[in-house]
Order: sequence, then C-alpha cells, then structure tokens
Amino acid sequence: MSDLVLSQPAPLAIPRGNSKTGLRIVQTVCIFMIALVMISPLFMLLIASLKDDRFRILADMGSFRAFWVSDPTLSNYREIANFSGELAYGRYLFNSLVILVVTVVSGLIINSMAGFVLAWGSLRGKAILLALVVALYVIPQESIIMPLVVMMSRAGLTDTFAVQILPWVASPLYVFLFYQFFAQLPKELYEAAEMDGASAFRIYRSIFIPLSLPALATVSILMGIESWNQYLWPTLVTQTDYARPIAVAIATFFGQDSIYWDRAMAASVLMMIPVLILYLAFQRWFVSSFVGSAVKG
Amino acid sequence: MSAYLGNRLLIALFAPSAFFWCAGYVEAKSVIHVMHQGDPGWVKAYGDVAKRFEEANPDIDVEMIYAPHDAYNEKFSAAVMAKQLPDVMELDAPFLANYVWSGYLQPIKPLVDQDVLDDMTGSNIAQGTYPIDKDLYAIGLTDSSVVLYGNKKYLEAISARIPKSVDDAWTREEFEGYLEKLSKLEGVKWPIDTFRGYGIKTEWITYAYGPLLESAGCDLIDRKAWKATGTLDGDACVKALTMMQTWVKNGWVVPTSSGTNQFYAEGQPAALAMGGHWFYAEAAAAMKENIVVMPLPKIGEKGVSPNGTWIWGISATSENPEAAGKFLSFLLKDKEYRDYAKTQSAYPGLKSFAAESPLYSEGGPLAVAFEQASKTAVARPPHPAYPTITSAFMQAVDKIFNGGDAQEALTAAAKKIDQDIEDNAGYPPFDEQQ
Repeated sequence: MSDLVLSQPAPLAIPRGNSKTGLRIVQTVCIFMIALVMISPLFMLLIASLKDDRFRILADMGSFRAFWVSDPTLSNYREIANFSGELAYGRYLFNSLVILVVTVVSGLIINSMAGFVLAWGSLRGKAILLALVVALYVIPQESIIMPLVVMMSRAGLTDTFAVQILPWVASPLYVFLFYQFFAQLPKELYEAAEMDGASAFRIYRSIFIPLSLPALATVSILMGIESWNQYLWPTLVTQTDYARPIAVAIATFFGQDSIYWDRAMAASVLMMIPVLILYLAFQRWFVSSFVGSAVKG
Repeated sequence: MSAYLGNRLLIALFAPSAFFWCAGYVEAKSVIHVMHQGDPGWVKAYGDVAKRFEEANPDIDVEMIYAPHDAYNEKFSAAVMAKQLPDVMELDAPFLANYVWSGYLQPIKPLVDQDVLDDMTGSNIAQGTYPIDKDLYAIGLTDSSVVLYGNKKYLEAISARIPKSVDDAWTREEFEGYLEKLSKLEGVKWPIDTFRGYGIKTEWITYAYGPLLESAGCDLIDRKAWKATGTLDGDACVKALTMMQTWVKNGWVVPTSSGTNQFYAEGQPAALAMGGHWFYAEAAAAMKENIVVMPLPKIGEKGVSPNGTWIWGISATSENPEAAGKFLSFLLKDKEYRDYAKTQSAYPGLKSFAAESPLYSEGGPLAVAFEQASKTAVARPPHPAYPTITSAFMQAVDKIFNGGDAQEALTAAAKKIDQDIEDNAGYPPFDEQQ
C-alpha cells in the first residue's frame, strides 16, 4: 500500500514537467511572434533607409523585398545629416534636441515641485487644487490649441524655441504623477528632516528628489517622447528653419504629388535614436516605477 | 586744432542724422511673407526664387513660411485666428471660393503682370476665378489632371483598343468589358487601381471620382440652385456609384489596404490605374515601355476630367499687395523654377510653360492628359460650402465602397451639404445666383 502511495506522484510528475515545457515553448513562440510584429516595421524602416531609389522602395512595399537591400547606401543619411544640405535636417535635429532637453529638465523641476507642494505643503484648498489638476488632464490638447496659438502670437513668441517649450513644461499628468509618488513616501522622513531644521525646499531637494528616481525616470521618458513627437503644435507656431523640429521637417518629404520614402525613412531612423537612448538610459527606473505603481495600485 | 574740433563737430552733427537716415532706409524696405507647402525639392525651388527676387528687388525682403502639405489647412486656420495671414499664399484651387467668400483673398489682376495673365490656360483661369464677380483671385504655373494608365502587355493580351485621343476614349461598355476580361487574365490580380489607398483624408475621391459621376450625368451639387438634394442623391448619381460599387464587389479594384503601388509593384498585379499626372514619373520609372496613357473613359454621353491644383493668391490683409504681385509675376516667369517644375512632370497651367514641356506636347507621353484640360476638364464646385461638399461626398463614397447602400449614403451626404448651406444663410450672394 505504502509502495503504491509512494509511487503515485511519479506518473503525475512526468505530465507536469511536459506541460511546463510545453507552456514555455508556447510562451517563447508567443513572445517571438509579438517581438516580430513589433520589430518588423522598424527593420523595414531601417532597410528602406539604406535604399536610394524612392520608387524602388514603393515598389518593394508589400513584398519580402521590403526586408532586403542588395546594395546598401548611406547616401540618405549623408544628405539628412548635412547642416548645409538641400534642407537643414541637421539643424532640425539639433532644434529638436534643444527643445527636448530644456522641456524635460524644466518640466522635471516644475512638475516635481508642484507635486511636492500638493503632497506635503500646508496649502489651503489643496484638495480642490488637486481635483483641478486632475480635471485639467482630461482636456485634450487639440481643444485648446487654437486659443493657445493666438495667445503665443500676441505674446510675440511665434517662431521661437520658447513657444515650443513654455506651454508644455507644466503638465497636470506629471504633477499628479509626482504628487502620487511623494504622497506615498513615509511621513517620518519629512518630519525628521523638519525637526532637524531643514526647510521645505531642502527636504524636497535633499531627501525627496534622491528617493524619486523611478518617478523622475518615468516623467523624463514620457515627457521626452511627448516633446520629441510634437507635430501639430510646432507646425502651427514655427515659420522658418530657425526653431523647426525634426518631426515637422520629416513631413516635408510627404509632398502634394510625391513621397520621398528614401529620405523620410532615414530621417525617421535618425529621429528614433535620441528617444531610444533616453529610454535605454532610464529603462531600469522606468520599469521599476511601472512595476511599483502596479503593485501599489 | 580748430579744424580738428570743426571736424569733430561735423561728425557729431551728421553721424546721428546719417544713422537715422540709414534706419529710415532700412525701415523703408518692404517685407512680404509667402506661405507654401511642398516636398524638399519644391521648398528649395521656392527658396531659391525668393533669393533671386530679393537680388533683383533690393527694396523687398521675402520671408518664406513652410507648412506641411497634410497640415496646411490647420496652419492656415491658425494664421487666420492669429490675424497673421501671409501676403502671398498657396491654396488648393477648390477651396478658393470659400477663401474669397470669407474675405481672405483679393483680386490679383491689378497686381500681376499682364503678360503672365495672358499666358494662362482656360483651365488655369477657371481654377482661379470666383464665380460671383468673375474676377481672378489666384494663379499658378501648373494645373493637374487624371488619366487612365494601362499595362501594355495585359491590354495587348485581351486585344483592347488603345485610345489615341480624348475623342476616342473608351465608352462605359468597353471599359467594363475590359475590366471583366482583365479579371480573368493570368497575372492580373486586380483589373484596376483607383487609388483607394490615398484614403479619405486627401482630396482624391472628390477630385478623381467626381468626374466619373459627372460623365455619367450627375454632379456633387446643382451648380445653379446650389442645392445637393435632388442632384447628388438623384438617380444618375446613385446609378453611377452603384456601378463603381459593383467594380469593388467584383474584386476588380485594388483595396485600400494594398497601398498605391500595385500598378508597378513586383509582378504588376494591377492592369490599369486611374492616376494623377504625377503618377507617370513613378510608374514609368518601374515599367519603362510597358505603360500606356489613355484618357478617362466616357461613362455617359461626354467625357469629364478633373483639374485644379495648388495655386497662388494674395491675401486681402496684405500690407504690400504690389510687392506681393511683383513676387508672383517673378515666380511664374522664373526660368530655374520652371526647369525644376519640368523635372517633376508638372502639368502646365501657362501656355508658354506647355510649349516648354515635351512630356505634354503633341506626341509626348502625357499629351492626352493635356488635351483633357481643353476638352473635358470640369472644376470642382466653386462654392464656399466646398469643404463640406467634399467631406460629405468622400464619406458617402467610402461607405458605398465598403458595401453600404448608395441611395442611403448619398441622401445623407446631400442633406449634410444642404444643411451647411442653410446654416450659412445660403452663403449670400450665392443664394441669389440662379
């Protein structure tokens, strides 16, 4: 009987092991398929950027030739990266970088400060203010864009870097994100620092900010992507090459009668690189922030 | 010493005057703003023209404002709201009536050189004329048309008749007969590409399909009473769109999801293509001698083809209309600009430019396309409600092509158009026009 009992788990163990392996295979296949779906357009983009005949690119679309280049060339990149080329794409890339860096750095400072005050400040009507911030978040950007254009034009900011940075530095989403993060930090931290005589700004700068790397990373990435991909706003407020970002410049390739796929693809690849670097640099904190939010939520 | 002092005194007296004189001179320089769209080649061409113009006219500065083609209307609306309309602007011809009615444009005849005005083709005049005062508000070097491109090899395989001029265009019976034959021919996946892939966010459907409807005896709106009900949802339009729906149902038309390259993509799966004149460059690059250019088919009694493209107007608020007109005249005569336009297979809108364009002259591969301008071109409805007309029509066509009921979709579109006209009190004085 005891033999019988002891021998029972053995046959059960084999199918369990098999199902585990089977599950892993299914998981791997699924992950591979998803990765393929995600990566293939990017791969196609990269391949097309190495072809110098726009008509060939168009003819190859829809077939496996879109994923193959027999005589790769960097001519599209050379043309785009050239500051003094047909159009100043190097300049547009530089403009986008300036706008990105200034927006993200100033955005981190302003939004985190606002979030800190809402979480720990002794402000009257804090709850109402917070509700207003959340309410502002639901207003779509497109609905306020025209009045904003008029405001900026009256302020004389048209065709400047400032007009592409100022309206987007403070964001209800990021204020709320920082507020949520700061509010979850232990009360004792704030109180201990306060007892040691630290000012509110000192507590914010020396204690809360160093503890907020995941939130800072998340906001940096989200804000960076948002700023980098801005299209409609800079289209409306820029007039010349002076402050025009790369996203608007790429649209030049999509003309009335023709599309310059070769250069559009190369410019798109170049446009992806800074965001990719930003993501890779902050990826660890970004993921941990999301995981943390999920667990807390 | 006294001479030295005298010199210093003179300098002290004259230097400020000289400075203010110079400042006055700088201020006297006019600045004109020119808003345009276009791909990098055109952007560069316009920029170069501006530089040459400034060299020839040192008293005028030109500031170019670029707006991407797809966001041009948004940019234009922003300029209107911010009261920053440029002096010279490019505009899509069918929107001209709306812009003139809204007070954004001024007549250009007194501002542009007479020899340029005399050089305009009939179709170019039509696309720039406001129907109420019959005055000219815009002008362009170019115009446009749609033709039927054919794969020579496939057409020879079904022994199709190749029309040589607009007068012997295919009839509906011939056209549908060939579509059916092509659908059974080996190697042909779709008998025709009508470029559904351009989608409904562009002007394509109204621009290219509208003429087929007009050829069948209907129109987007009654052009005398300016009422869509009874015309757009009338029998002729319903029949014409049901005919096109049948082509789609039969699997004869390249679907939206297959893009816009099926005529010349690997294996050349589409046998015919109803494409714009600009399509020739990309198709010929891939197909070489295997391409034939034919006029649009006659669906009814008469052949109809589209016209109109991006043309130049001068804003009503321009502070320097004379300088703006001078720039337009300079642009349209500029040799380098014309040379660039030729490399882009630009469709001539000026007679002198047509004479310089071998592609469109007699015996040229696109001669048939140019012949259409004088024989069959019909402008899209020149009415301020055009933005609503085109959007309602395109949505209706999209519904019908996706299997919707033609009568129902066209009735809804007609109602939407009439409602817009009613909401704007008939767009006076268009309501008085009969």
